Amino acid sequence: MAKNNLNQIPGATTHKSNRIGGVSELASKIFGEFILVVFSLLIWIPIYYFVIGAFKERGDIVKYPLLLTPELFTLDNFGAAIDKMNFFAALKNTGTITIVTLVIVVAFGSLAGFALSRIDHKAFRIYFAVIIALMVVPFIGVIIALIKQTVSMKIYNSLWANILIQAAWNLPFSIFLYTGFMRALPKELEEAAYVDGCSMFRVYFNIFLPLLAPVTATCLIRTGIGVWNDFLLSLTVLNDSYTPTLMVAVQSFFGERTSEYGLAFTGILLASIPIMILFIFLQKYFIKGIAAGAVKG
Amino acid sequence: MEKAIHKKPKHTRFERNRLLTGILFLVPSTIICFLFVVLPVLNVIKYSFNEWPGIDTVPMKFVGFDNYAAVPKTQGFGEMIVSTITFALGVTILTVLVSFIVAMALDKRDKGRINRNLMRSMWFFPCLLGHAVVGILWRIMYHYSNGVINKTIVQLGGKPVNWLETRVLTNFSIIVPTVWVLMGMTIVIFLAGLQSIPTELYEASTIDGANKSQVRRFITIPMMAPSITINVLTTSIAAFKMYELPWFISLGLPGYSTRLLTQRIYFFGFENTGQMGIGAALSMILILTITLISLLQFVFLRKREDIF
Repeated sequence: MAKNNLNQIPGATTHKSNRIGGVSELASKIFGEFILVVFSLLIWIPIYYFVIGAFKERGDIVKYPLLLTPELFTLDNFGAAIDKMNFFAALKNTGTITIVTLVIVVAFGSLAGFALSRIDHKAFRIYFAVIIALMVVPFIGVIIALIKQTVSMKIYNSLWANILIQAAWNLPFSIFLYTGFMRALPKELEEAAYVDGCSMFRVYFNIFLPLLAPVTATCLIRTGIGVWNDFLLSLTVLNDSYTPTLMVAVQSFFGERTSEYGLAFTGILLASIPIMILFIFLQKYFIKGIAAGAVKG
Repeated sequence: MEKAIHKKPKHTRFERNRLLTGILFLVPSTIICFLFVVLPVLNVIKYSFNEWPGIDTVPMKFVGFDNYAAVPKTQGFGEMIVSTITFALGVTILTVLVSFIVAMALDKRDKGRINRNLMRSMWFFPCLLGHAVVGILWRIMYHYSNGVINKTIVQLGGKPVNWLETRVLTNFSIIVPTVWVLMGMTIVIFLAGLQSIPTELYEASTIDGANKSQVRRFITIPMMAPSITINVLTTSIAAFKMYELPWFISLGLPGYSTRLLTQRIYFFGFENTGQMGIGAALSMILILTITLISLLQFVFLRKREDIF
């Protein structure tokens, strides 16, 4: 179900327009289109507001919330924000956590998915059911025990704790994806290789791995966005003494009473820009990946 | 399994090797998931039945269901129940309703005027932003004197509204940004559902003389029932899990009126650490709620697979 190409279901089968387009129908169509455009722009106001806000001073953000003219334009926020949120250190942390987690999730997830999909054994089916059950557990429900546990394991306040926990919470979904994908691959694919005396790992590595690109893309995007945007785990497992991740660093512009709006908007922009840029180039894959995650999980 | 036994009377050495290698392939993920998912779940269950201040040197004391019994007596419990349920219901209803309407408008079938892919990306975009960031952004937007929302209201001649510290209204204020974020996903799922409706159905109904609203009423909505169910269930799960987004907007204020279950778990786990057991009992309530919804989803998905 999840592995269906959610956005590639042929939508191209349009009406061979067999209805007679009267004037009133045309008018209602234009009106409908107009409403849609208005609302599409309305939901973009928050994004527009913070992106242009990043290039204005605090006073101007308050005075002219939705304007950006050459006179208002300034880059001062960036220097200050980069300084205050310790941007490059935070970027390094977030980047490291995201990349290492992705490597673990893809490598171990595809390996487990290979075993679960190619071997027909009762124990493996039970294992798969357990994996699905793990996808249900809400992260915040166990965070208390999890943090205590990292303390007793002596990995508290380290990037490794963050990475391993992220990997553990994203592996079930990736195993689920990979297993589903590989179950659909024909048996003949590996049989000849086994007859030739290939080991199972060779079969996985040389024959299956190259075929996994589509499902890996889904897995990378979904896990990547989740890990990049994570706030709760980084907040709790990386204590004050550690340079935080980007999402936690943005919080430093946020006080209950006072807020440096310009800096906050710049921080939000800096923390989100890598994903925003990737999205612009890989829209299709992003939408597919996120939707696959939504259907299951 | 049974079939396999009938086909091949004995396990060959090749097959036993295969099984062993397969188990080996599962080892890395099993270790990681056991340590950081299964073990903490077991520990939360344990904490919820023990009295423990959360310090290693103090031994745990088994107290049975005392922690669960103490939960309703904590301050602001009634408000938590009300706010959590209003939040989940409000988010689910609004998200599904809005995204259904938008998906109908974005359906590729009525191809034409404005690029549908661009529009879809526009509606999808907010769900790429981190929840913490969205919370901070909307809190600034809601600000009484400086926020863009009140500024606009004043410019249009209205009176500024206290979005963040008014009972009932603030419950609504935290719902809107959540819908804004979750909408992207539900729209995509609805669009996939819409596109899987066979075009012949529409054509046949048009030939039979059905008008637009009849087509919607008797074809689109019934055919969309599975997507609606999936979206209702996944959105409600997401709403129950939501932590930092509503927190950064309202900080649980005014009073306890917008403090959700998840925020209470955090409070008892990390701020008021003397009462670990209560935090764990609250965690169990959350886990059980979500498990229940997921079971519904699972049963439903299986049923749907039978149909198709």
